[in-house]
Order: sequence, then structure tokens, then C-alpha cells
Amino acid sequence: MKTFKTLFIVESKLEIRRVNSIFFGVFFPLGMILLMGVIFGKKPAFEGASYTALQQTFGALSTIGICATGLMGLPLAVADYRDKKVLKRFKVTPVSPSMLLFTQVLISFIIAVISTISVFIVASVLFGYRFTGSVAGFLISYLLITLVIYGMGMFLASISPNLKTASLLCSIAYFPMLFLSGATVPYEIMPRTMQQVVNILPLTQGIKMLKNYSLGLPVTGLWFQVAYLGILALICIVVSVKVFKWE
Amino acid sequence: MENAFVVKGLRKTYGDLVALDNLNLEVRKGEVFGLLGHNGAGKSTAIECILGTKIPDSGTVEVLKMDPIKDRKELFQKVGVQFQQTHYQDKIRVHEICEMTHSLYKNPADWKELLEIFNLDKENMKKQVSDLSGGERQKLSVVLALIPNPELVFLDELTTGLDPKARREVWNYLKNLKSQGLTIFLTSHYMDEVQTLCDRICILRKGKVVAMDTVSSVIETSNHSNLEDAYLWYTGEEDLGA
Repeated sequence: MKTFKTLFIVESKLEIRRVNSIFFGVFFPLGMILLMGVIFGKKPAFEGASYTALQQTFGALSTIGICATGLMGLPLAVADYRDKKVLKRFKVTPVSPSMLLFTQVLISFIIAVISTISVFIVASVLFGYRFTGSVAGFLISYLLITLVIYGMGMFLASISPNLKTASLLCSIAYFPMLFLSGATVPYEIMPRTMQQVVNILPLTQGIKMLKNYSLGLPVTGLWFQVAYLGILALICIVVSVKVFKWE
Repeated sequence: MENAFVVKGLRKTYGDLVALDNLNLEVRKGEVFGLLGHNGAGKSTAIECILGTKIPDSGTVEVLKMDPIKDRKELFQKVGVQFQQTHYQDKIRVHEICEMTHSLYKNPADWKELLEIFNLDKENMKKQVSDLSGGERQKLSVVLALIPNPELVFLDELTTGLDPKARREVWNYLKNLKSQGLTIFLTSHYMDEVQTLCDRICILRKGKVVAMDTVSSVIETSNHSNLEDAYLWYTGEEDLGA
């Protein structure tokens, strides 16, 4: 316990000093919600809609923290620690290097949660946002999205031989996911054909779940979404564990 | 005399390259043992096979009567390791890496005292590890290997990059620990260091043992007058019998 506490404190300080996760995971979505709030104000999502455009956006923006930590922060830190042989050094101590990995996952997740809570607070205080849906449904969807995105991140870190490859693969996964899944650019404004294409992104499906749960709308295609994300997460995690090398 | 570790018939290949060929070692408790050889002779491979971070193709290793892979949690409470060219987490400070290392062990040494002994305390403690000079970083890696309060310590090129004064400081401290019963296994390219510290040495050439004895016997057998000449003679390209 003493070990975990020390690892957690030191690694948290390092994560803050490295800036990236905090900037892209917390400040960026905060900027987005400010922007959306100013643009949309209290406008309804569409004519005659029972909810506002901002309410519709909340579910999407709440995933940016998961993406920034899961597809950039976490896999890059892991690949870096492997390149620098920090993980290997742990192998000649009484503590398993997997404890260091677990610490990283936990810190990343905490940053993601802070991101979502900050977006929620800003939206509520400044723009009168109201969460009208199912909190439990929202939280479960949130966890499922985290599982699949972190799984993908760890998968990319595992198959990369070094930090350079990892950072290339992570960028290839991160940017399309960020811009095409509806996390930043609203899914609703995309042309129909484009919507059909971006539907294959796991985050698009995840955001649909979050939106429906946060708006209290009937959730359609839920089992497909849960199965798709669940199976993808499982594949990523199993492959990561099999392929991952400590050095 | 009890053994600190025993290595039997260790062999490790990388593709066609035989990095280690039938290495047999018995290092006694309280002894300072030096492993010598050119770069690429197999020194680091030997250390890694002994520590279990590399799996040998064949052979057995027993460290403090334990299996370095199966019993690693128990074994590494008592074993300190300094790898060659250690890197650390980006942006980590000296006191943070020490606190982190300290937290991994049951009966760790006082790291502040260790930093003081190696002149790394005061303003250095708050510095980022990447802002230390090469010599200071090298001393830090030795400090980290000593934080477990080990019975046995592995030091791979322990004083590379240190100035003469710092080298003396490290030597004196290690000698002091030796007198308290610490077993030291080191590699080095500096023959004065080897002569000052080591009781026995083993010279590797292309993965094979070409000499293993006390420093004075190794010099004697080579028909040379000092260790450096003897070392070059053993590791030279000419046939050993000639």
C-alpha cells in the first residue's frame, strides 16, 4: 500500500508536469464547451426538439478526456517507459512492473473523469445545462467507452516496437476518432453518407449511447452497441496482454 | 564459505551469435567479484541472465539460494541492481526517484544519507534527473542500487563517466559496505578500479571464460607485470596457448 501510494503520488506529479494529458484531456474539452455554449446558447437541438443543442453536445464532449488520455497520454507513457527501460528496472525489484502500468491507467482515468466533471460544471454554471437522463446508464456507457478506448491505446502501445511508432499509430487513431466520431464536430451536422461511414468508429457508437442516456431518450440498438464495444475491448486487451513486452 | 550465487552451464545466443557459452560461476558471500571483457564480450548478457531479465538458452542460476524468476519478489528485497546507462521517467526529480525506489522495499536504507555520502544532497535533490551531469547521474544510479539495503549488489560499469575524485568516493564507500558483509558483482573497463575493489575476477572473450582467479593469480598466469597488460593479453586476438 505504501508502495502504491508513493508510485501514485510521484507519477501524478509527472503526469501534470508533462502537461499533454491535462491540456488535451481537460483544457481542450473545456474550451469546446465554452465555444459550444456561446454558439448554441439555449437553442433547441432542432426545431421542436425537447432538448437543447448544448444538452445534445454534452455526451460527446464528455468523451474527449477519455480519448486524450487513452489514445495519447497512456500509450505514449507506457511506450516511453518501455523504451527508457523503466519497466525493466522494475523487474529487478520486489514490485511487479504491472503495478506501474496500473498506476498509469488509474491516473489517466482520473484525468478523464476530472475532464468530464469540469465540462459538466462549466456547462451547468455558465449555460444552464441540465442532465435529464439516466445517471446509471450514462456511467455504465462511460465505463464501457473507457474500456474500449484504453484497450485500443494499450493495443497500440503493445504492437509498437518503440516510442516513435507508438506516437505515429496513436496519432492515426486519435485524430480521426476525435474529429469524426462526433466528439468534437457534432455527428448531427454530418451528411448522411458520412454518418454511415463514421458509424464504424467505436467512439461514434459510444457517444450515441452517452447522448441517449444523458438526454433520457429511448436507447435504440443498445445491444449492438454494447456487444460491439465489449468485443472490441476484449480483443484489444487480450492481444495487448499477449503481445506486450516489458522491454 | 557460503555462495551468494551459483551459475552453471549458462548459454545464451542471439540468432547465430553466441553471446555466452558455458559460463560457470560461484561467487561467495562477502566477496567483490569483477566480470571483465570488451564491449560485446557478454558481460551485460551474463548479468541479465543471472537476474532473470533474460532467459538463458540453457544452464541454471541460483541467487541467494533462490530462483531469480520464480522467487523474484523475495529475492529482490535483498538484491540491488544498477544497469548500464540507466534512464528515468521524464521530468522526475532526484528526491522523487529516491522516494519511489525506497517505497519498493521492506527494509530500505536512508536515501537522504546515501545522497549526502555521494554529494547529491542539497540543491541536487530538487533537480530533475535529466539536469544532472553525467557523473552525478552515474552516482545516482549507484545510490538507487544501494537503497534496498542489499546483501548482494550488481553494478554494471559503476564508475563510467565519473571524475577521479568521485570514483574514489564510490570505491571507499563500496569497500566500507564490503567490510560490513555486502557481496558485490561488478563489471568495469578500468583496471585500477578492478585492482582496488575486486577479490576475484573473470575475463570473458566472445562469451567464453578465458581467465578466472584472484587478481594476482590472473596477472601471474599471464606472464605480464600488471593487470591491464594481462587483461589485454587474455582478450587479445592471438591464440591463448601461444
